[in-house]
Amino acid sequence: MNDVGEFTLMVALATSLYGIVVYVMAARGNRIDLYLSADKVPLITWACVMISSIALWKAFFTNDFSLQYVYAYSNIELDYFYKFSSFWGGQKGSLLFWTLILTSYMIVVHFQNRSKNLIVVPYAMAVMLVITCFFLLLLNFSTNPFERIPLPPEDGRGLNPLLQNYWMVIHPPTLYLGYVGFTVPFAFAVAALISKNLDDAWIRLTRKWTVVSWFFLCMGNLFGASWAYVELGWGGYWAWDPVENAAFMPLIVATAYLHSVMIQEKKDMMKVWNMSLILLTFVMTIFGTFITRSGLIQSVHTFDEATLGYYFLGLLFFIIAACIVLIVLRLPLLKSENELDSFLSREAGFLFNNLLLLGIAFATFWGTIFPIISEAVRGVKITVGPPFYNQVNVPIGLALLALIGIGPIIAWRRATWSNLKKNFLKPLMFASVGGAVLFPILPLSNRSEIYTYIAFILCIFVLSSMLIEFYKGTMARYTSSETVLGALGSLIWNNKRRYGGYTVHIGVVMIYAGIAASQSYGIHTEKRVKIGETIEIRDYILRYEKLAAIQATSVKTRIIAQLAVEKNGKRIWTARPEKEFYKGQNQPVSEVDVRSTLASDLYVILADFSEDESATIKVYHNPMVKWLWTGGWVIALGTMVCAWPDRLEQRRRLERLKRQQIVFSPAQE
Amino acid sequence: MGIHFKKIISVFFIVFFVAIACSSLATAGAVLSDLENQLMCKCDDKCGKVLINCTCSTADKNRKKFAKMLESGLTVDQIVQQQVEKYGETVLSAPTKNGFNLTAWVIPFGALMIGGVGLRKLLNGWVGKSKLDIEFQNTEDGAAPKSGSKKSGEMNASKYSRRLKDELDRLET
Repeated sequence: MNDVGEFTLMVALATSLYGIVVYVMAARGNRIDLYLSADKVPLITWACVMISSIALWKAFFTNDFSLQYVYAYSNIELDYFYKFSSFWGGQKGSLLFWTLILTSYMIVVHFQNRSKNLIVVPYAMAVMLVITCFFLLLLNFSTNPFERIPLPPEDGRGLNPLLQNYWMVIHPPTLYLGYVGFTVPFAFAVAALISKNLDDAWIRLTRKWTVVSWFFLCMGNLFGASWAYVELGWGGYWAWDPVENAAFMPLIVATAYLHSVMIQEKKDMMKVWNMSLILLTFVMTIFGTFITRSGLIQSVHTFDEATLGYYFLGLLFFIIAACIVLIVLRLPLLKSENELDSFLSREAGFLFNNLLLLGIAFATFWGTIFPIISEAVRGVKITVGPPFYNQVNVPIGLALLALIGIGPIIAWRRATWSNLKKNFLKPLMFASVGGAVLFPILPLSNRSEIYTYIAFILCIFVLSSMLIEFYKGTMARYTSSETVLGALGSLIWNNKRRYGGYTVHIGVVMIYAGIAASQSYGIHTEKRVKIGETIEIRDYILRYEKLAAIQATSVKTRIIAQLAVEKNGKRIWTARPEKEFYKGQNQPVSEVDVRSTLASDLYVILADFSEDESATIKVYHNPMVKWLWTGGWVIALGTMVCAWPDRLEQRRRLERLKRQQIVFSPAQE
Repeated sequence: MGIHFKKIISVFFIVFFVAIACSSLATAGAVLSDLENQLMCKCDDKCGKVLINCTCSTADKNRKKFAKMLESGLTVDQIVQQQVEKYGETVLSAPTKNGFNLTAWVIPFGALMIGGVGLRKLLNGWVGKSKLDIEFQNTEDGAAPKSGSKKSGEMNASKYSRRLKDELDRLET
């Protein structure tokens, strides 16, 4: 099966090369025969990559340690669940997994669009095949996952214990679905530039791909944070690690694009800007891959054998150069009549939102590459860690939060004072009252706490503005024959994009609130305790009850501490934090135990223990962390509403176009 | 605009800006946490984590050592300085705010300011262009009766198109 896997990778490469040539020739020469001859290329490429992936999975499940990759990332004792995820645990497999997702997306795009737009689609397919080809070249000639060991060992080295967590099965695929998903809008944008079809057709064709990719990237980031929270055992969820930054930057640029593209759809403005943003989003996804696989920047996420830097750097330069050349060549066609009626308008709000989002993306990028710049200029390598990002990004993030509230309730084109008063009075009142109520409750002793106080005021402002929008819309539809819930349902159903977007904003506000509270008001304590002794934190008393050792497998031993958690004299929970020792690993892995509620998390770590059963226990009290994860699910709900097929919207758009044609046509007069 | 609305806006912005101003005057919180936040973990594994986030045995040892140093009367700055002398600048979790490192802090805000000024100019141009168009159309409105039926048709078309745009905007606000 290994030979088949290796062979199919070669076939996939040959097929994709054929596809590139034929699609380009078909588009350039307007040759339908060539277009039809390439019709099966996406399917064959996908099938080959799929067979190759199945071969690798089979090697993992059958403990075939003759493959160097299986030997490095698995062993006999490894649970089947993790054998499945070991596939993307190392560089070679993760590249194959990337290719598998890319080719899967490609066949969906192919079947969706093959008879839709015969000018743009062949070029888009060719671009996607070029990217596929790059990955297949690496898989065939540089990082072959089917590389053999001449004398196969009896057992493998096993998967890194930190990766033996259920998030390993969820987080990387979600993130990859987001990263790879942006290849589709990128391919269509480049195709539009090449084919000079620069109306908003490419935007409409890829709108859902963009929304869905954005969603996966967003959830990938959140799942990563969640994984760090439960697995790394330091009580936090985001460390501004270079690779975390690399996943965060495309998300931020894509968010800017999702907002500014609305102006193009509505007013046919900012074509160059939108084109640049989507190209930049894709460049950022490749930059992220470059960081993970180059070994250039020190990170906890970097692959052990990070040797592909030059290849990805080459791809990065090629894409940037090609995009710049294409945009410059097509500038005359991308020119649009840019006009705004007023500064006080939603369009201007979107532009400022873009400025702030790109400001955050740039600050993050700058912080990520500054160690390299410092080394080049001064010869001194420095570290840029969380204090830098927090000081730079938090003020910008707060301004952005304010705009999240302002944007949706300010009028398109021109907001009058009466319009502002009508829309802003209540949210501002709620925010002011909320600020006044919170002022005596919240401690304001340092900068972080004051930022949090501001964030809470802004959260109330945004949340109230969103909820008022829902309320107004529902009440306008509410009649005696319909219930309030029915009216709310039909409001959302008939305006999916708008109210789905508002729901996403509510999720984002929840995330802001969760970050603000947990960063500022979290406390922790650490104590060496003997059996029967207690630790106090806030209203909780943790009584250390026992320490147990369990030989889980032949390579894993679990040391579990048991603590009774009491509140107001009542036992409310039993915490069982543990340390896991893996054969052949220097450091044990902490498995924390968390009691999570919307108000706060009680996060218990077994930091150390000794033979007399005394143990060092670390306890964190982190307020509102659950708001982050709940916010993620609210975003998921909002995205689902946004991306749901909407015939009404299409019909409205057609009717509007028809009416515009009638009104704009002088012949009608 | 109603007087109440003005008052609410004023109160909101006063609360907001006082809070922002206070933030720059505020002092740091827990001392050991501050120290752990300022330093990177220097374990053999080169984990690349800030000390406060690291759970390895080296980090635990260093934490205990720093706690003792603080108890002995050393300040956070003195301990940080000691660590920099021992390991170099790479032990700091963020660039210092002097010399070349200052560019790390200044450039993001500088870029944002330049972007803001650029955007402001761009918007000025776009808003100005729109005003010019409206003035031009108004002039045309005045001259319309003398300009024959074709011009009158164009004028009506633009009038209706503006009205349609207005109505669509109101519908979607």
